[in-house]
Amino acid sequence: MPRTIPLLAWGLCAGALLCAAPARAQVDSVRASTLPGRQLAEKAYNAGLANYSAQNYSAALASFNQALAAKPDFAPAFANRAATRLALKNYPAAVADYDQALKLEPGAYAHYFGRAQAHEAAGEGPAAEADYGAALQANAAYAPAWYNRGVLRFEKGEYQAARDDFDGAVKADPNYAYAYHDRASANLELANWPAAVQDYTKALALQPTLLPALLNRAAAERRTGQLPEALRDYDAYLTQKADNPLAFTNRGNARFENKDYAGALADFDRAITLDAKYAYAWNNRAAVELKLEHYAKANADATEALRLNPKYAEAYLNRGHAREMLRQADEACQDWHQAAALGLAVGNDYAAAAGCAGDAAEVPAGK
Amino acid sequence: MIRAFTRSVLLLGSLAAATAHAQSVEFTKEKFGGDKDALKDALRELRAGDDAYAADPANYGAALPHFLQAQQLNPDNAALNSKIGDCYLHSGTKALALPYLQRAQALAPADDSRTHYLLGRALHLNAKWAEAIKEYQRATPMGGGKRAADGALTLTADDLARRLRECRNGQELQKHPVRVFVDNAGPEVNSTFSDYGPVVSADEATLLFTSRRPGGPNAKKDPDGDSYYEDIYQTAWQGKRWRPAASLGAPVDTEGHDATVALAPDGQRLLVYDDENGGDLNESNLKGAAWGKPLHLGNRVNTRYHESSASYSPDGRYLYFVSDKPEGGRGGRDIYKIELEGKGPAENLGAAINTPYGEEGVFMMPDGRTMYFSSEGHNSMGGYDIFKSTLTNGQWSAPENLGWPINTPDDDVFFVTSASGRHGYYSSDRPGGQGGKDIYRVTFLGPEKAPVLSEESQLLASRLAPVAQTLLSPPVAVATARVTILKGTVTDDATHQPLEATIDLVDNKLNQVIATFHSNATSGKYLVSLPSGTNYGIVVRQEGYLFHSENFDLPAEAAYAEVIKDVPLKKLEVGVVIVLNNIFFDTGKAILRPESTAELERLQKLLTDQPTLRLEMAGHTDNVGKPAANQDLSQRRAQAVVTYLTQHGVAAARLAAAGYGDTRPVAPNATKAGRQLNRRTEFKVTGK
Repeated sequence: MPRTIPLLAWGLCAGALLCAAPARAQVDSVRASTLPGRQLAEKAYNAGLANYSAQNYSAALASFNQALAAKPDFAPAFANRAATRLALKNYPAAVADYDQALKLEPGAYAHYFGRAQAHEAAGEGPAAEADYGAALQANAAYAPAWYNRGVLRFEKGEYQAARDDFDGAVKADPNYAYAYHDRASANLELANWPAAVQDYTKALALQPTLLPALLNRAAAERRTGQLPEALRDYDAYLTQKADNPLAFTNRGNARFENKDYAGALADFDRAITLDAKYAYAWNNRAAVELKLEHYAKANADATEALRLNPKYAEAYLNRGHAREMLRQADEACQDWHQAAALGLAVGNDYAAAAGCAGDAAEVPAGK
Repeated sequence: MIRAFTRSVLLLGSLAAATAHAQSVEFTKEKFGGDKDALKDALRELRAGDDAYAADPANYGAALPHFLQAQQLNPDNAALNSKIGDCYLHSGTKALALPYLQRAQALAPADDSRTHYLLGRALHLNAKWAEAIKEYQRATPMGGGKRAADGALTLTADDLARRLRECRNGQELQKHPVRVFVDNAGPEVNSTFSDYGPVVSADEATLLFTSRRPGGPNAKKDPDGDSYYEDIYQTAWQGKRWRPAASLGAPVDTEGHDATVALAPDGQRLLVYDDENGGDLNESNLKGAAWGKPLHLGNRVNTRYHESSASYSPDGRYLYFVSDKPEGGRGGRDIYKIELEGKGPAENLGAAINTPYGEEGVFMMPDGRTMYFSSEGHNSMGGYDIFKSTLTNGQWSAPENLGWPINTPDDDVFFVTSASGRHGYYSSDRPGGQGGKDIYRVTFLGPEKAPVLSEESQLLASRLAPVAQTLLSPPVAVATARVTILKGTVTDDATHQPLEATIDLVDNKLNQVIATFHSNATSGKYLVSLPSGTNYGIVVRQEGYLFHSENFDLPAEAAYAEVIKDVPLKKLEVGVVIVLNNIFFDTGKAILRPESTAELERLQKLLTDQPTLRLEMAGHTDNVGKPAANQDLSQRRAQAVVTYLTQHGVAAARLAAAGYGDTRPVAPNATKAGRQLNRRTEFKVTGK
């Protein structure tokens, strides 16, 4: 209702003028501006909004500055200037403006939500999560606040809490495709694979262009043993988007699981063609070449993966396997040990079984 | 010893049985083109070979070199190629038989059982399982189970069934090869002659084996073949390779056959075989760096039959050994266990291990429960295969074939392992060796090491395709000021000094003063806000001056405007002209509108307050219309004002009415604003 106040005030003044004549004018109060401050603030504020909509953020910022100069208690101008500063990636200033907006309009969920976004953008996860929570306390029906908090919790590995938040989001907005998608992802992480497949399917029904849902549903289907369905999803994705090395790599993995090593090799080839710096594709091609007993190629590919990512434990492990078969026993031992040092403890098991120096040899399983 | 476990099932076929074929080339003058010497050499080699081949028992090893020489001179004789194949099938390099037998079949196709069987064997030994099965299936039992006087092949239905079974085993086992490296021990160990029977110390530092190379105590060749007598050689591991092997010499190596059998885990005792008493086991002890004279293990172990291989239990109390003694046996060679310091008889390991066929090469792991041995039974793919069985609660597990490529269709025997189990050693005859049987080291790679694939996901939709979620506060309705700001400075028209004047704001429609202001006494400035929707009369007055009137007729929809109007107040002097901005007429008429009342009253008051004042009321128009009409209208309007005043008590003599039409414009008539200024009513002071 703030916008009605100037009219009302004017009306009151006019009424007083009419009703209480003669009145004495304060004739020396002529201002340089021809507009009253409030009116100037509102016009500048609206201009700021127009500039923001046109993504002319610097002009928007100037307009909101003008509005606030004319009306220092103009809460919406603080909020929108904060949004403008957020767009300009000036996160501390955005947070400060949202602070002001909240002082002027305590409990406004939109300001909490905006400040949460500013904190999140600034990498201040806990503060962001707290503000999303405050926004939800003020307005539990605002689905994006549920969703965004869920995302933060997901990224912290708190999948159960994230799933609860995505639940809140879909309850608040039953057509929220992203919320279904990400709830599916939480279910994926929680090993609730059928539920994940169901939610990805719902997300796709709501938003058929949400192609990552195809990739992720495929991942869930692989875990439930639905390899043909997974391959179909990868195919569907790649039919629509054939420039994603990640998708080729993941389909290659599915084909690998399906023992279609030639198909997997073709996919990893394609991924590398699309992005020669994609270490995963190099490593995975090394893996399929191990299966195809192309040990020299496997060695070369794993080496390239390690050149791209010197801390790549899996590539060390695969290269160890290749080098063992290339009769480079010492080098294989070094690679397995390195894989173990980088977190793949099984590397030590391989080294021990192979009788690597410093390892207690064991009778190989099955012998 | 090696020949002892080569089980012969083939008997010599008659040379005469080799049927001539149109494409087979005989050893004739025509073939040799008059080269009598070559024909003579060929026939000589052929006869020498045939002599050995036709001997009873046949001496395939002696026949083969002659046949090969003859074949060099005439490679297209079907019978000769067939005999070479047969000799190879009875040699240590059986797989080499195949091309000769296939050539013979091509030169002179035959559909007899013997041909199919021999081809089947050669194919079998080359691991050509499916083709071998076809040939075996075309063969039929021959010879009634006994060797015929003419050396014809003896083949039973059981033999054929067993070969078929072996091929099928081979097919299955080859489908799932075990992950091993099989490496030749190298020229430091292997010679161009047969080398076999490796035994290794627990730490793999020492390797002893049997070799049929020259250089042993007996300089003569073994008359049974083309090799020397068996002797024992020893070598040591140097980090990357074996040191060149050397004969143990006396007293272990003798002029007879001396072969390795087993090395105790501590490396201090060596079991050796000699060919006395049908083949017996002896033990030599290491004294310092020298092995002592082998001592007979006694009659509880050795019999008049063939005791060929053995292995100590880890604690040395027991001996596992192989014997073909019929008493207590299950057929062929069997594995027995005996307590060395005990008094009881040797115990057959039973049906779990021993089959109706031969078992050989027993080796007990240092764990005391894992036993490796070779067997022609179980699921062998041909000849002796190496098996593993473990002892649990006194029961031996079902033997497990070590699989392809450790095992082959030919004999794979005398397998021992290092204490770690990482490596195994055995002898095998396979392409790429040094010659004859060679010692190979098997490196167990264990189950396939699973390659590790990496994968990343794009699990959060908003991270991949962010959606703007900015909550902007909405636009506000601007409180548009429907007001006109009138401001300016009130001055004395003559001196231009600021004046403090009274400013009356009059609602002309209501004929009511709605506000009264004052200009600043010092600056003369004033500001009046005029909300839209009213016809305002603005009257600026000061005592001693003529009032000044302005009109602002602001409709309700009039937007904000700011008007600067400086007001020079004029003193009451003759000749002064004052515009009466708040006198209104209907369009084109001289009828005063009600909104004029306030202005007329001010004029009336002025005349009342100044009784001597005389005025001329003047009417003016713009230049629109005809001048005469304009003049008439202006005259009539001036008169209307005069009439009003006279009707309200002003003496007519003090007033005059003058119509000037459009003759005295105060602004150009070119614009609407100018024309409006020109349409006016004013008075001029004509006397005071």
